[in-house]
This record gives sequence, structure tokens and C-alpha cells, in this order.
Amino acid sequence: MIRFEKVTKVYKEVTHALDDVTINIDKGEFVFLVGQSGSGKSTILRLITAEEVPTDGHVHVAGKDLTRISSRRVPYLRRNIGSVFQDFKLLPQKSVYENVAFALEVIGRPKNIINTQVPAILELVGLADKQQNLPNELSGGEQQRVCIARAFVNRPLILLADEPTGNLDPITAQEIMRLLDRINQTGTTVVMATHDQKIVDQMRRRVVALANGKIVRDQQQGVYS
Amino acid sequence: MMVVIFDRLGYFFHETWISVRRNLTLTFAAILTVAVGAMLVGLGLMARSASSNALGRWQGGVQFEIFLQPTVSGNQIDALGLELRNHPDIERIQFVTQKEAHELLQEILVDEPEVLEEVAPESLPASYRIVPRRTEGELIESLAAQFRQRPGVYSVETGRQQIDAIREWFNSFRWIVLLMSIVLSAASVLLIFNMIRVGMFARRREIEVMKLVGATNSFIRTPFILEGMLHGLAGGIVGAIAAGALRNHVEDLFGKSEILAFFRSFTVSSSQFNTAIFITVILGVVVGAVGSAFAASRFLDV
Repeated sequence: MIRFEKVTKVYKEVTHALDDVTINIDKGEFVFLVGQSGSGKSTILRLITAEEVPTDGHVHVAGKDLTRISSRRVPYLRRNIGSVFQDFKLLPQKSVYENVAFALEVIGRPKNIINTQVPAILELVGLADKQQNLPNELSGGEQQRVCIARAFVNRPLILLADEPTGNLDPITAQEIMRLLDRINQTGTTVVMATHDQKIVDQMRRRVVALANGKIVRDQQQGVYS
Repeated sequence: MMVVIFDRLGYFFHETWISVRRNLTLTFAAILTVAVGAMLVGLGLMARSASSNALGRWQGGVQFEIFLQPTVSGNQIDALGLELRNHPDIERIQFVTQKEAHELLQEILVDEPEVLEEVAPESLPASYRIVPRRTEGELIESLAAQFRQRPGVYSVETGRQQIDAIREWFNSFRWIVLLMSIVLSAASVLLIFNMIRVGMFARRREIEVMKLVGATNSFIRTPFILEGMLHGLAGGIVGAIAAGALRNHVEDLFGKSEILAFFRSFTVSSSQFNTAIFITVILGVVVGAVGSAFAASRFLDV
């Protein structure tokens, strides 16, 4: 599903954000990316969404070599990828329902599909009774559920999560992890960058550890350190 | 498929409207600038039509005029008249007596009776007004030269100098208008460019989310470009209305004034007027589209 071949990413000709990284993530896997800030976790996620292009090497996502596709095709690639963020990136003036519907509207999905899929996904994340609320009326955990609903409403092949529990208390973080786990059970590949040692140790999934832009450990059913 | 198209159009117009409301003052400035630029273009086009209409009519009936000396004898008048009537290059002639000349002057000086009082009918020259068969300037000049030295002739005046002066005046008016409208159009493009840029900045979070969920660039851009075109359209319409109102005002002015009787021939036909108005509005839309498309492509990289 995701394959990095000798990928190097250099910023401003000095900083090696990624240094000769080769990694393969299969369909349906759940992978934690761990490492200190600046170790290259976010760069990997940004290369997968084609927000960055590698300085050297190849990135394959969903069967496409991202170094070879034209910028016009990038939006269509991103429809296969859902993104979840530490700061949620919800639109403050739109309701919960509208925030999720927005993701379908802007890729041109017809109204009748939006009208059935949005309530269904809000049901799945447990926010069926908060559809008309604005984001600032929700708790952090609830806002993160909206963000996940928005990322998953289009049933993407891949879900990327950048520190999704970074702003949440431990109990809420657990709930979010259960949700991501359920999404992974549906066959969606999940890649999550995190600093949350407790969660990584508890989940016992594949752990890829990065340091200074290199992979220092790649362990099935691994732990944080 | 139709449903999808309607959903999409609904989305575009909704987004555009939100943006227009958000930037009301800037919107107003942009529309007014477009309006003034478009109005000038409209006026320039109308002036062009008017001058070619007027000169065309004037030239078609060019009368050069042979003024006779006050002391001319009846025989001389008749002899000259006979020669003119039989001249192969002359279509027809009209004799204007001293009394008639005075009446014409009365018409022209209707607002200045005190000037008229100073002029005795006997001091005005009688004249022959000539309509030549053909209207080439050279022919008229050569005819005028033939009769200039005849006994009893005081002077010969052709309309040529006047026509040239008027044509020149209208030409420079057109150029000035054109130049000003180019400057204003450029200003309009820049204003709309900036307005769209501000609008995109205000909505950068939305744009970020749109990109992340895979909206195409054209989908993200369309509401912004529509917004710019809408401003251009509004400006173009306001400009066209202003140009139309000015045209009516000027025609009224020319129509009423006897002194400016000559200018009565400076009219614009309704089809020329419609063309000018149409171009004015289209120009507004183009200005809006260029400004916004430029902004949208500049500030929306993948």
C-alpha cells in the first residue's frame, strides 16, 4: 500500500529530514511512527500525501509512484488518504455535520450520498447527537472524533494520523485509539505518528522508530522504546 | 449527473456570495474602479461612432460657400450663378441673400441679441452654397480655387479646415479616453487581484482542508474566479449605465443649443450604442476574470 525506496528528503540543502529510508507498509497494517521531534515522522506523512516531494528515491502510494504523477492527479491521490491532526483543523464556523459533509462536497459527491454517509459516520464515531453543534462547543476528544469522521467519511484506503492524541487526556486518548482500531479493522491502513508511549505499548502493533531521519528499529507488535 | 451539476453550482454561488459579503468595502472600491474604467471605454466607443457619423454626414453634403462682395452687381451674381449651375462637377447650388444670411445669424446668436444688434443685414455678404457632385477634398479645393478670383467674389470657404479640426479634436479625445481606461482597467485588475488574495487568506483554513481531502485546484479556484467576474460584471453594468446616462445628457445639451447646432449631427445610432454598452460590460467581466484568475493561480499551489 505504501512503499518508500531509498527516500531522502533534504530541506534547504542542509537538514536531512529523511536519509535513505526504505520501508514497506501493507494493506490493512497499523503502524506507529515513533521518535523525537525532528526525527522525520511528519516528513514521512507529508511525503505520503504528496505535500512534499522526495529529494531522492521513490514513494509509492496505492500503486502510484508519486515522483511520476502530475500535480493535476495529486487531488485524486488524496481522496484515497484520510488525515487526522493533533489540532483537528476543523472549520470553526461550520457545524459538526457541515465539517464532515464539507469533505464530500469539495470532491463533488452528490447531495444524496452526503445525506446518507455523513450521519452514518457520525454514528460510528459516537457523535450522532451533536451534529448541529459548532466545534468550540465540543470537548477535545469530541473534536478529534469529528476530525476522524471527516478523514474517514470517504472510506479512504489509508488513514494518516499525526499525534492524534497529543492534545487529549489519557482516557480520551484511549477512546480515540479504540476508534482508530475499529477503522483499521475495516481494512484501512493506519499510519500514526506519536509520542504517546503508553498507547504504543498497549496496542502492540508494528513500530517504526526514527532518529535523525533514519529508521533505527522496525518491529512487529513492538513497544515504544 | 444533473443533480451533481446543480449541487456544484449551488456550492459555487453560495461560497461566492459569502465571500462578497465578507469584503464589502473592498468589493465596493473594486466595483467602482471597474465602473469608471468601463464607462470611459463606453464613452470612447460612442465618441468614435459619433464623430464618424457626424463627419460622414457633413462630408456627404459638403457645401463650400462662395461669399460675394457687398458691392457686387446683379449681373455679376447672375453670371456667377449660371456658371456654377452649368459646371460639370457641381450638383446643385443655393443662393443665400443678405437678408437670409442675417436670419441665419439670428438663429445662431439667439442667446446674444446685443451682438446681433451690431450687425446690419447690409454688412453681411450674400453667398452661393455649393453641393459638389463628388466630395473628395481635392476636388473641393480645386473648385474653390477656380472661383476665388472671379469678379464680385469676396472669399471662398470650404468646410475642410473645420472638419479636420473637429476630427483631430475627437481623435485626441478618443486617445485620452482610451489611455485613461487602460490605466483604470489595470488598476481594476490589481484591486480585484488584491481582493481575491485577501479573500483567499481569510479562507486559508478551508482551502487547506479542501486540499487535504482531495479537492481539485479548479474546484477550489472556481468560487474565487466567479467572485472576481461578478465584481467585474457589476462594475461593467454600472459603467455602462453611467456611459448611457452621459450620452443622453450630452445629446440633450447638443440638441437644445443653437450655438452648438453643428454638434446635433454628433449622434450615436442605437445599434452603435448597444455595441458600445455590450463591450463595456464584457470588458468589466474580463477585467474581473483576469484579476481573480491571476490571484487564484498565484496563491494556490498544491
